[in-house]
Amino acid sequence: MYDKEKGLIDAYRRGSMSRRSLLRALGALGMTTATASVLVNAAATRALAADFDWKKHSGTGIKLLLNKHPYTDAMIANLDNFKEMSGMEVAYDVFPEDVYFDKVTAALSSRSSEYDAFMTGAYMTWTYGPAGWIEDLNEWISDDSKTNPNYNWEDMLPGVRASCAWNGKPGAPLGTDGAKQWCIPWGYEQNNLTYNTAMMSKAGVDVPQNLEELVEAAAAVQAGNDGIYGIGVRGSRSWATIHPGFLSGYANFGQKDLNLSDDGKLSAAMNTDVSRDFHNHWVKMIQESGAADWSTHTWYQVGTDLGAGKSAMIYDADILGYFMNGGGNAMEGELAFAPFAANPAETLPTPNIWIWSLAMSSFSKNKDAAWTFLQWASGPEHGLFGAAEMDFVNPVRQSVWDDAGFRERLASSYPGYVEMHDLSAPGASIKFTPQPLFFDLTTDWAAMLQKMVAKEVPVDEGLDQLADNVNKQLKDAGLG
Amino acid sequence: MEHTSALERVLRGAALSAVVLFFMFPIFWIVLMSFQTNETILRSPPSMVFEPTLSNYVALITGRLETQAGSLDIDFMRNLMNSVILSVSSVALALVLGVPAAYAFARHKFRGSEDIAFTLLSFRFAPPLLVLLPLTLYFQQIGLADTYVGLVWVYQLICLPLILWIVRGYFEDISPDVEHAYRIAGHGWGATFMKIALPLAGPGIAAAGLLAFIFAWNNFIFALVLASADKQPVTVGALAFVTASGIQYGQIAAAVVLSIAPTLALALYAQRYLVEGLSLGAVKG
Amino acid sequence: MTVAADPLPVKRRMRVSRKALPYLLSLPALLVCIGILIPFFTAVWYSLQRYRLSQPWNRGMNWGENYIDFLTDPSFWNTLKVSLLYAGLTVTFQLILGLAIALLLQKRTRLNNLISIMLLMPLMTAPALAALMFKLMTNPNFGILSYFAQSIGFTDFRWGASPDTALFTVILVDIWVYTPFIMILLLAGLRSLPTQPFEAAALDGVPRFQQFWRITLPMLTPHILTASLFRLLESIQQFDIIYAMTQGGPGDTLMVFQVEAYLNFFQSTNVGRSAALLIILWAITFFLSNIFIKNWLRLRERARGGV
Repeated sequence: MYDKEKGLIDAYRRGSMSRRSLLRALGALGMTTATASVLVNAAATRALAADFDWKKHSGTGIKLLLNKHPYTDAMIANLDNFKEMSGMEVAYDVFPEDVYFDKVTAALSSRSSEYDAFMTGAYMTWTYGPAGWIEDLNEWISDDSKTNPNYNWEDMLPGVRASCAWNGKPGAPLGTDGAKQWCIPWGYEQNNLTYNTAMMSKAGVDVPQNLEELVEAAAAVQAGNDGIYGIGVRGSRSWATIHPGFLSGYANFGQKDLNLSDDGKLSAAMNTDVSRDFHNHWVKMIQESGAADWSTHTWYQVGTDLGAGKSAMIYDADILGYFMNGGGNAMEGELAFAPFAANPAETLPTPNIWIWSLAMSSFSKNKDAAWTFLQWASGPEHGLFGAAEMDFVNPVRQSVWDDAGFRERLASSYPGYVEMHDLSAPGASIKFTPQPLFFDLTTDWAAMLQKMVAKEVPVDEGLDQLADNVNKQLKDAGLG
Repeated sequence: MEHTSALERVLRGAALSAVVLFFMFPIFWIVLMSFQTNETILRSPPSMVFEPTLSNYVALITGRLETQAGSLDIDFMRNLMNSVILSVSSVALALVLGVPAAYAFARHKFRGSEDIAFTLLSFRFAPPLLVLLPLTLYFQQIGLADTYVGLVWVYQLICLPLILWIVRGYFEDISPDVEHAYRIAGHGWGATFMKIALPLAGPGIAAAGLLAFIFAWNNFIFALVLASADKQPVTVGALAFVTASGIQYGQIAAAVVLSIAPTLALALYAQRYLVEGLSLGAVKG
Repeated sequence: MTVAADPLPVKRRMRVSRKALPYLLSLPALLVCIGILIPFFTAVWYSLQRYRLSQPWNRGMNWGENYIDFLTDPSFWNTLKVSLLYAGLTVTFQLILGLAIALLLQKRTRLNNLISIMLLMPLMTAPALAALMFKLMTNPNFGILSYFAQSIGFTDFRWGASPDTALFTVILVDIWVYTPFIMILLLAGLRSLPTQPFEAAALDGVPRFQQFWRITLPMLTPHILTASLFRLLESIQQFDIIYAMTQGGPGDTLMVFQVEAYLNFFQSTNVGRSAALLIILWAITFFLSNIFIKNWLRLRERARGGV
């Protein structure tokens, strides 16, 4: 059916043709870039199949629970190649992001065997793992008979990989020996600055280098432009308010959410002097130059305002800035990226990260088949396809970051993105203390920030209240 | 009633206009948004001047959304179909169960009747979450999870008490004389119920059914927790346009318009029943 | 009041089934609902446990501890206060507004009928989606309502984003969505009122204003009770609007029962506390409904006795 195309693609794979001229040649045959890329990946998949028995579970089927996300779109676009290679049937349910995790909790807590694998974040596995809902994937990764020789697990960025592994002891660091690999990283986000170049230069404001400068720059850029506000950060009553810019900056000052005592007890760590100072700056920044409706801001509002040209900067996920610099936004092509180290004493950022990952349900009736899918979806070939052709950024594999084509594409349309990533990647990891009350404590923290910004409570007093409340909850749960 | 002064007419007109404005303006604005792209919706200050586009409706109805990243499948029409299936079956079941029960409570004072009636109503008291959470476990065990049957059953929590209570009041307000006369003429109980009581209560039943339909249609949480993606109603489906790369307000607005349309059509069709039905009309005793 | 007493001599076969008849009629409805009772009791059992999904090893009966903890938990009392306030305010405003609109539309004209159907459209908008749309309409940059507020001088009105105005904002959305429900029930009630008392009052020269207080309102009371009851049950269990607009914030401003219980279950996976909260909510609704139903039954008896 695609003989001519197949010939071209195999020529490319033999190395006798560049990717660009291949795509051009395929384009001449009336093919869109996206379709051509899928075909190229099909060839890569054929090559993949040579060294491993992908057909072992041929004829069986699995079902996935997925979040509506560009990563999901990239995977679905490439899924036929997997089905052909493995002979497996792959069904999937895609749920809107707003309700996605509630659906996951509902499915797992009812011990439903409907879904074999699903998308998750690393924080969620701190609940799912101890609850006995998901599998330790080390068992499969380390089994040569189940994992293909080209999977190259070591290729995964170390900080990201470690952030998905935990031994389940409250307060124990992530990724230590004996940690269980609760999920496989898929794509991840670092938190840094994205800014509107035109607004910054109009106000004559330089890219801020630390928190003090950020507070000033936000106020200055707001004053120097009409009808905008200075800085977008999340503010809704949710854990999601704490984990992006806020915790990234907080961690840069060497601050922690919780302390772990020698006898394994956890206690609140957010009422130190450095923390008070950080909170004071943060609250002041939002009061002076944040969105008027900051306390309802989630990922969506932070992004929408930046994309529509209503905010000058965001201190949030790099890929949120990435999406807003893309098609369909008023500010398409107007945004630039910069690494951000909040602490003046530090030169490098230490972003807290969000990792979209893949996990395997303990209630799955077909775990080996599910693993066949997981290793393909998180493998280097699909990673490169998604990153180069679709919005499957940020990739979690070093090999994809080393790919010249991918870097070139990013560098040309997303100024500063690659440098920002390379600079902050070494310090990027999850900065939270893993423990089962993660969502309770971060939600309380966000609620307290809201009270501080609304001036219902002074920052110092609020932090003490928060610490007391956190300690009480830890005690009640037998952790403090 | 006939001698209304001119001043009063003006005041009534003004009040009515204000009411219509308050309740209809958001609808009007949603309709406007449904003909816009995100770019014109997200302008400040907001404006009514824009070039109308049908792209949102086209995307919803054809099920394909064209973006720069390629085309995405949207299951909105299936969501709409699911809403129809769930709401119609739930209301139908609630009517079959609820109307005879309502008749029994209205016409027969039997031992424990008020207690049973109250118990039935009390299912409406249970916070939906309270029932839903344990129910997920049981549904998993008895195989009702992810089935329309299971969902329709849970939807009775919304529909049955409403229908029961309204229809009961309606039966009570209808004088039993006609039924008595019919039975004196030698007809059995069943025939009396079917031929006399039901037709007389018809408008009330229709109106209660419509209200129950609206509440079932608007439900969000039951299907989300209990069923997989292919059985989700529009309320969940419309959230699919809240995506990581932005909220597609135009498509949500179009989804709202499309999701109101069937209920509105039903309400307009049943217009004379709706208002008259909840009242008693000609048969007042 | 023995409506059921049949004056007719009936055959023996009929007599047996006549006793059983009402039970036969109401039993299917009851049976269908009984299934729902099992999960209810399971939830009661959960509420008596220390039960977090993320700490399965800690699970165990702690009897009333979840409840006793509420006594000293300020966030519980806040939840109780906000829920009652929300329910009280929404139902009150909706009753007044719904009754006023029903009075305006009372006359049976084509236009009035059409308007009454049109006014049902907010009710047909799913609250979850309505909240999403209102969130956009109250956005300080792109929102049309914010624009209106600014143009009449409220330059810094922050709607759901400020603790001072958040309650107002969600109540406004609730009023928009649910007033039509009360309106339609009361309109139906108004139109079903017998005309004789009004004619008599008009002959006696009773002013229309007094007719309303002396005749209309008392006769309408059963309808008002039904409408308020259903609205109250929904309102005290409010979830969709508040969760979609503010997730219970800012701070703890809008932490009503179902939002708190939802977060407790789905985010914290604290099943024990979540269930205990919902049981208390159930108890409150049960108590309030009892009062309503008693009054409703009394009024209906009286009304029917009067006919």
